[in-house]
Amino acid sequence: MIRRALPAAALLAGLSGCAASPPLAAGLSPQAPRSIELSATPFFPQQEYQCGPAALAMLLHASGVGIEPQALTPQVFIPGRLGSLQAELIGATRRHGRLPYALATTADELIAELAEGRPVLVLQNLRAARWPKWHYAVLIGYDAGRNVALLRSGTKERLEMRWQRFAGTWHRAGRWAFTTLEPGVIPLHAEASRYVEAVAGLEAAGQLRAAATSYDAAIARWPAQAHAWLGRGNVAHAEGDLPAAADAWLRTILLEPSDPAARNNLAQVLADSHCVAESRRQVERAVALAQGTALAGAVEETRAKILAMPPSAESCQLEGRVWPD
Amino acid sequence: MHIERFRRACVALVSLSLVSLGLSAPAAAGIVGTADAVAAVQRQEHRAAVQSVLARADVREQLVGLGVDPAEVDARIAALTDVEVATLATRLEGAPAGGDALAVIGIVFVVLMILEFTGVIDIFKKA
Repeated sequence: MIRRALPAAALLAGLSGCAASPPLAAGLSPQAPRSIELSATPFFPQQEYQCGPAALAMLLHASGVGIEPQALTPQVFIPGRLGSLQAELIGATRRHGRLPYALATTADELIAELAEGRPVLVLQNLRAARWPKWHYAVLIGYDAGRNVALLRSGTKERLEMRWQRFAGTWHRAGRWAFTTLEPGVIPLHAEASRYVEAVAGLEAAGQLRAAATSYDAAIARWPAQAHAWLGRGNVAHAEGDLPAAADAWLRTILLEPSDPAARNNLAQVLADSHCVAESRRQVERAVALAQGTALAGAVEETRAKILAMPPSAESCQLEGRVWPD
Repeated sequence: MHIERFRRACVALVSLSLVSLGLSAPAAAGIVGTADAVAAVQRQEHRAAVQSVLARADVREQLVGLGVDPAEVDARIAALTDVEVATLATRLEGAPAGGDALAVIGIVFVVLMILEFTGVIDIFKKA
């Protein structure tokens, strides 16, 4: 009996919006402001099913990219789904040279971003878990005294939603939220690995300048973050600066001697720079380090290519460096 | 089901021909991108180059099938990492697609849902 009654109770709780989340004031950290409203955030009322493009346009405008929702529709909307996917909002953000930074699943981090002046794009499930209604809105603030979340949502420029109801809709959508960062801006509360992973997405999307600026900022804040150096090297390599790429990967290996990706890339840039003997030595190290990892296949391919290269008449262009063992 | 299998076979064929033409790798030859390196460290599901190309072709085909303009779809997919594409390839149909703000719940529906959840009726079975 209890097993059957529980889901029914949970459903009723979900529908009435009184899921387990506490009032805002109860969960607010002592340092957080009692209320915030980012009233300068522009508003674009959504067209039918177009909350994704509308919400994203508001965020991009707030981070200095002047783009209209109509221009974003062909970049994120899926007619057959009457909506937009989370991954594509992330992808479109990258296409406009901004860094999509995924937030942790805690309300604290939403509030921390608001406190730094950045509106937050949230996914909401406006109905029940088993009968979802997905919606994107922009969180622009809150008022702990009145226990409300402030949203730009749909056709409403300023929607006040009781905090527990907002938290419930966000919870039922997997607590997914992100902000758009200008390259070089790092949130005060950012985690090094999560930030660098976000920059890696910019790099993968071919936004090399934005990625370079972001990696430089990451290196300035977290000089011992190996993957920030790896990424900096990758961008330098993609831009054709082989010595800078080699130096960045050398730094990666100093910090993380067993990183197979940095060894692989170093071997490749050595080969590109006619340093044949050292390239072969490094690629063997890369193969050994990659064994049993997801990169084993890719490194093996690099090795085969390097071994098949004809001997070069030119001399090594990366002299004067100490290569790692 | 046969159509689905045929569709997947077509995707595989087209993708393999793209691979053999060398039209695929998003990263420079011989270079491991940072996103892949991060994914490898996190032991996330990682696809080798050929599988990544397959996944991109699969997602492309699914999006075009859902009405996305073929002229736009490549730039959309190029903005995603290998891991994101691999995730979409397997879960695109069920992934949340945010669209509308209206959440009107009819009282009849609420009653039906309660009956459903308490096991009195069984009409909302998901496939």
